[in-house]
Amino acid sequence: MAKRITIDPITRIEGHLRIDVEVDNYAVSNAWASCTMWRGIEKILRGRDPRDAWLFTQRFCGVCTTVHAMASVRSVEDALKLEIPLNAQYIRNLILIAHALHDHIVHFYQLSALDWVDILQIPKADPAATAKLAESISPWTRNSRNELKAAQDRVNAVAASGQLGIFANGYWGHPAMKLSPEVNLLAFSHYVQALEYQRKALQVVGILGSKTPHIQNLTVGGVANAIDLDSQAALGMDKLEMIRTLLAEVTQFVQQVYLVDVCAVAAMYPDWFKIGSGVKNYLAVPDLPLDSRGSSYDLPGGYIHDGNLGGVKGFQTAADPIFRQSVTEDVMHAYYQGEKPLHPWVGETEPAFTGWDGDQKYSWVKAPRFNGEPAQVGPLAQVLIGYSQGHPLTKKYTDLAIEKIAAIGGPRATPAALHSTLGRHAARAIRACMLAELAQKHWQLLVDNIAKGDYSVHNQPVLPSHEVQGVGTHEAPRGTLSHWIVIKDEKIKNYQAVVPSTWNASPRDKSGAHGPYEASLLHTPLARPEEPLEVLRTVHSFDPCMACACHSFDPTGRKIGVAKIL
Amino acid sequence: MRTALIAGIGNVLLGDDGVGPYVLRLLESRYNFDDDLELSDLGTPALDLTHQIVGLRALILIDSVQSDADPGTIFLYRKEDILQTAPAERLDPHSPALSECLMTAEMLGASPEQVVLVGIVGENFEPGRPLSASVAASVEKAIALILHEVEGLGYCVRQKLRPDTPGIWWGESPSPSLHPR
Repeated sequence: MAKRITIDPITRIEGHLRIDVEVDNYAVSNAWASCTMWRGIEKILRGRDPRDAWLFTQRFCGVCTTVHAMASVRSVEDALKLEIPLNAQYIRNLILIAHALHDHIVHFYQLSALDWVDILQIPKADPAATAKLAESISPWTRNSRNELKAAQDRVNAVAASGQLGIFANGYWGHPAMKLSPEVNLLAFSHYVQALEYQRKALQVVGILGSKTPHIQNLTVGGVANAIDLDSQAALGMDKLEMIRTLLAEVTQFVQQVYLVDVCAVAAMYPDWFKIGSGVKNYLAVPDLPLDSRGSSYDLPGGYIHDGNLGGVKGFQTAADPIFRQSVTEDVMHAYYQGEKPLHPWVGETEPAFTGWDGDQKYSWVKAPRFNGEPAQVGPLAQVLIGYSQGHPLTKKYTDLAIEKIAAIGGPRATPAALHSTLGRHAARAIRACMLAELAQKHWQLLVDNIAKGDYSVHNQPVLPSHEVQGVGTHEAPRGTLSHWIVIKDEKIKNYQAVVPSTWNASPRDKSGAHGPYEASLLHTPLARPEEPLEVLRTVHSFDPCMACACHSFDPTGRKIGVAKIL
Repeated sequence: MRTALIAGIGNVLLGDDGVGPYVLRLLESRYNFDDDLELSDLGTPALDLTHQIVGLRALILIDSVQSDADPGTIFLYRKEDILQTAPAERLDPHSPALSECLMTAEMLGASPEQVVLVGIVGENFEPGRPLSASVAASVEKAIALILHEVEGLGYCVRQKLRPDTPGIWWGESPSPSLHPR
């Protein structure tokens, strides 16, 4: 007899995702992903000036502020067919890269590493043995015995206080935890260091955007940064050098620590390459434009159907006609009125709350569909789409990760093994390495372009009086983000944001097809159903953040993984 | 070098949840503070709040609070209240992040010595709504409390001769364009 387990909430950061699984004979037999909050922020935008929209969308979520600002200005620029000066493209790209590096580091260490790392094993570790182990897998200079001992002392101090503090909500000692005390200590030491390097990445966003968490330098048509190489107040050599140094430090952390740690976890939990695949339709949009028109990009996009890597369809532009035509949102199982899946330009957001009913409506998240089917978005989608198109940078770091996992004693993974919980973590680390390398490139492109005497940062937008529509996309840390705008009489007539967590956390659609979270949980083995750590591992591997998927906050729920067996 | 931070926390798009940033903008427009005291509208920073608070001497947060008390009621919470792993009362919609960030700063040995959260009980958190009358009526009291705290911490406050226009750009919909021609 199947038992239903409710996990509510699960994100550890603001937002409120609820997961229900049915467990039969120690494995998940059915799953529902839902969001318990009303969504409807887009309505605020109607009637406003399209040039102001980014200020509002930047407040959709407090964690991914810049991504919603960027997608918004791009949507207006697409509607107006407005080109962007090269300097503005590079500055925007550097902001997007720095934000993504920050976000990926936070996700692995602060939001999901403790699904794999057992804090309570750390006091048993030998710091000297840990340092030796670290030296054998990475050239990172901060793996000394002293540094590791200091990290161990921090855990001992927290444990000695009698309260576990930030570690109070973990499944310590769970039978699914497999790392040795030394590997646990090494990972925790990097958990602490990660706080330092994510801050450096944020500083880059702050220098270019003039403020974090809400950047101030965007404008429809470009950026508002004044460029003057000799000035300390404007964007000059002083600030550019500071940015270069910060990016170099973050790059070293990502390539020598983050990627290596993910490979080590992968090597020691090989079963997790076989768990958590789910929806194998993958979607990503091209990003990091290299010219003012947006016709070539450093990150490839496209669509893979049913895991068929050989049949990948590439997208030529960030607002590719295939993408523009293929997206709809289905509300059959979401708390909204309407029967027919709608294209975002004619999308509606009229609530019809019924309460949770797994057979009927059960979520505030709509179900976005690509050609009528669910699609998985995120770093895994982007890496698979790049790899299968032979994208050199994607191949470089994917092959490096595969080698590294085998070198640490894990299985020799193939790209096909990436359809999994570990695959999502590996892909995020691979993407972080790619972005770190691209950060140096775009920094150089910016400096070289300024050196040519081009100081242009902005093209003036002209709002037409007739109706126009546009889509602004961004391959955000959690995947494909698209803002869809309709402008009439110089005002916003309709606005819809189809966000990454909506794709991944989507409920079933009218055909009954599961969303990606739901599908990925099916057949997951559970050692202790009352402590569903394995469910958390897979859900966390998507990097859930529901604040913008449902656009509101719920005051309830202070703990992670509040599991209730019904 | 900043030693203290007054931060407005909350989502300005969600009715009373925006009261923190609202109060912060009013403070900014009316008063000058010491150079080492910074004012910032942080929105809903979740775990990134850690980066804003490590190494500070003093931290004052203004946020909306969920409580059974009457809307507009103001509660002051100190560091010990926030650090409790299982507080008897929910502090606010972002409190999991707030307590986690403070605990992280504690673990790093870089937590502010003095922390006070000025929590204002909200009534309506719907998208696009202005502050409820009950909450708006408490704004001046919150400002007075904050100024009292600031002075108690040993920082100077000077009233501006002519207040600036508060930067509250998220007013009622649809507002006039922010791009005057």
